Amino acid sequence: MLRPTLNEVISGMQRTIMEALLPELSSPYAQGQAMSAILILSHAAMALESAPAYDAAEIKDLRATFAALKRLGNKHISKKSGLRGALAGAIGASAKNPPDRRAMEAAMAAFATAVALGDADESVARHVRGYIRRNLERSLNLLGNSLPTA
Amino acid sequence: MEEKVAKLDQHRLTEYLKQRMPHAREHRVVGLKRLSGGSSRETYAFDLEWSEGGEKRTRPMIGRRDPTGGLLKTEREREFRVIAAMHRAGLKVPEPLFLELDASVMDRPFFIMDRAPGRTGMGAFPAAEAESTRAKVADDFLSELARLQSLDYRECGLEILGPPKNLEDPARVQAAHWSEVYERDRMGEHYPILSAAFAWLKANPVVTDRVVIVHGDYRSGNYLYDENGIIAMLDWELAHLGDPMEDLGWASMMFWGRDELAGGLMEREAFYRMYEQKTGHRVDRKRLFFYQVLGNAKMAVICLSGIRDFVEGRTSDSVMPFLELLMPRLFEDLANQLRLV
Repeated sequence: MLRPTLNEVISGMQRTIMEALLPELSSPYAQGQAMSAILILSHAAMALESAPAYDAAEIKDLRATFAALKRLGNKHISKKSGLRGALAGAIGASAKNPPDRRAMEAAMAAFATAVALGDADESVARHVRGYIRRNLERSLNLLGNSLPTA
Repeated sequence: MEEKVAKLDQHRLTEYLKQRMPHAREHRVVGLKRLSGGSSRETYAFDLEWSEGGEKRTRPMIGRRDPTGGLLKTEREREFRVIAAMHRAGLKVPEPLFLELDASVMDRPFFIMDRAPGRTGMGAFPAAEAESTRAKVADDFLSELARLQSLDYRECGLEILGPPKNLEDPARVQAAHWSEVYERDRMGEHYPILSAAFAWLKANPVVTDRVVIVHGDYRSGNYLYDENGIIAMLDWELAHLGDPMEDLGWASMMFWGRDELAGGLMEREAFYRMYEQKTGHRVDRKRLFFYQVLGNAKMAVICLSGIRDFVEGRTSDSVMPFLELLMPRLFEDLANQLRLV
């Protein structure tokens, strides 16, 4: 393994900011920026570890959700809704190597829109809601439930 | 590059104020420092000392300069004129002093206003504050909103904000505007819940009963206060003409306070009742809901805009990457509102 690892580099940069830069900064604004940089490096270190698993779970769930929607058949997905095309695109995107996540999320946006507008069959809506619920759980686990600071 | 990131120059600022205050002598800018927050403008605090009629004088001031990048793309002239109109109307705002649109003076356009005293929270009203302070701030918060919504924008000289063509316009215009910003700043990514929200907003526009001046970011965190209540409402850069439910909906969004207190100030239903008492207008729940959905979508888009500016190098503000951390809560609220979970 090459050393330092990315995590070790990040930890080292945090110490550099804390121990070498911060004591030299006289402006409260600059001190605040330095503290933010330390915190965001912590977030980056965490993301380096957890983001691959998050991404893999997202793709797996999207693929499974679209497969389930396909199994419902055309009876549940009306032609005029435009969702048949979105579903075909998503199935194609999920079969690629690597899967085209953006295309899958674009298709999910079309399905979520149909559910929000009340244009989706209830069995379709059940699958879409299931995915969104799991997606939110994963996002909250990854990024936390932060308070606004803006 | 150096000029792009240079901080406000004390010497140039002093020379500028000499020109703007020719009746005064011995101008001196003291304690110039950049403040955190106010991400849509660079914000600087300083004291101006001068002599006039043989007397030494001092005035605390704030300089707000256009950023190189940031959360919002807004016009400083518009913001300055709105603050000036609010000040003339007697609302609690800092007194605006000088507007400079010539970018050669200080690298970018800027304006200077009075520096009001008091403290501010970052989001919800701080839980650690005394109950009596909370009650006074809550009362002032809704009193100021009622006064704002009672103003006639024509009498205030605020036709520059673009009067809506009809009572259906405000909802449509706001939904279309923030949807356009979403398309511009999503960097090719798709956010299913946000896409669904904008589709819903466009499909379900509400009709206002009157057109008022909307602050656009009326919430806890955007005022200065002390134990006697609110001293000044800040951050008027998103002001426009629209539906009175827009500011009420934004101020009472779950995002600004997870518990039952709207903005950390008052239990939501009591908050709405007090609004009705102070304005003499009923809270229209359908319109309120629309603007709370819009509010969550708008806040998510503001986060995306800040992230894009950071990623593409228009701002080096290290707070911007943190905006990603706010998104799950906004998406969760939108998903609940739109029955997507």
